[in-house]
Amino acid sequence: MDRNGRTRHAPPRACIAVLLFGICTAFARSADFALPPLNSPPTTETHPGKMLWADLVTPDLAAAEKFYGGLFGWTFRSVREGRSGYALALLDGRPVAGLLQKAIASGEHRQSAWLTFLAASDIDSVKRLAVSHGAKVLADTKLYPMRGRQCVLSDPEGAVFALLASSSGDPPDYLPVAGEWIWSSLHAKDAGSEAGFYQHLFGYDVFDLPSDDGVEHLILSTDNYARASANDMARGSARRHSHWLNFVRVENAAASTAKVLALGGRVLVEPRMDRHGGMVAVMADPAGAPFGLMEWSDSDTKEEPK
Amino acid sequence: MKTTATRLLASGLGATLLVLLHACAVTGVEGSVGYDGGYYEPYGYDYGGWDLGYRVGPSRCCEHRGDRGGDREERGGDRGGDRGGDRGRGGRAPAYRPAPAGRSAPSIPGRSRTH
Repeated sequence: MDRNGRTRHAPPRACIAVLLFGICTAFARSADFALPPLNSPPTTETHPGKMLWADLVTPDLAAAEKFYGGLFGWTFRSVREGRSGYALALLDGRPVAGLLQKAIASGEHRQSAWLTFLAASDIDSVKRLAVSHGAKVLADTKLYPMRGRQCVLSDPEGAVFALLASSSGDPPDYLPVAGEWIWSSLHAKDAGSEAGFYQHLFGYDVFDLPSDDGVEHLILSTDNYARASANDMARGSARRHSHWLNFVRVENAAASTAKVLALGGRVLVEPRMDRHGGMVAVMADPAGAPFGLMEWSDSDTKEEPK
Repeated sequence: MKTTATRLLASGLGATLLVLLHACAVTGVEGSVGYDGGYYEPYGYDYGGWDLGYRVGPSRCCEHRGDRGGDREERGGDRGGDRGGDRGRGGRAPAYRPAPAGRSAPSIPGRSRTH
């Protein structure tokens, strides 16, 4: 009490109350953008260089949800991200991808795309190694507590990819079901040099299986499983910048192609037979983001000895 | 005077803390503003022109490499395994080391998810 009988400590208490309110609000907001773990329950597995996530960046999240939901049966859960929208795509309740709405500044000639995340449990050393071999850091490492630490890089030819050190371990090696990512291919001006770059990062075994048309087709593997391919760009391709392309497993590529068209997408490469004896195709969603379709029949799959 | 100064200091500290907490909550713990999980690519490119023989996928189990694989290893040995240097791209990225000749290319995992 002061000389006038007033309580002297009331204003500081008010400050503390305001501060506590602010802390609670901030953490509530943080909880809004809580990306779930990749694995529930967590695993202790690590599979360097395995494609374990993909994020779509799109100017129209609602249209993307409608398209991919209709095509693959994905359902979506909204996650608040500042002023932008982010939706988790789920298949049978399991997270399979993320869709991020991000405006394209007027005058910027940019195309919607899927970003490929490769597993890197020791993300800092892999990032350093990448930079020392010619990569550029596009978005530096950031922690999303349940998801893990991730950063976005461009490789020596400019293909954009991300590293992810999952907080819940890497997903076990299963044959993906229809609607899940099954394959990733890197399309480069010089597949050999690019394979060398990624081999430095992840210790890939590299197998040369040339295409029937003679262009370089390299299989990148770890743990005695094929993880991705590195390919010289097709001779007639108009798409001349290096890029990663991810494939979703489908039961029937022709039927899925018809669905793509019905849902407002485009066909970039018609279904055609690939090395494994199934059909592959390349599509673009309504915003132009390319992705692949791949058939894979269970009956032909043989388990590799580990 | 002293009390006023203390109040002002406490208010200032509180406001600073709020700003920091808000920034951490919205942007993540490390790095820049916003979620860094999306990246727009250059516009104006398209596919097309994949020859019928153009292959992108994995093989089925245990496909053996063609003659080019063996050639590659021999050439790699002659060149110290650095094709990048041969192509005048030295210092950008070294070329790959091929898997041992006796190994065949693996396929993707074949085990089904049990749950």
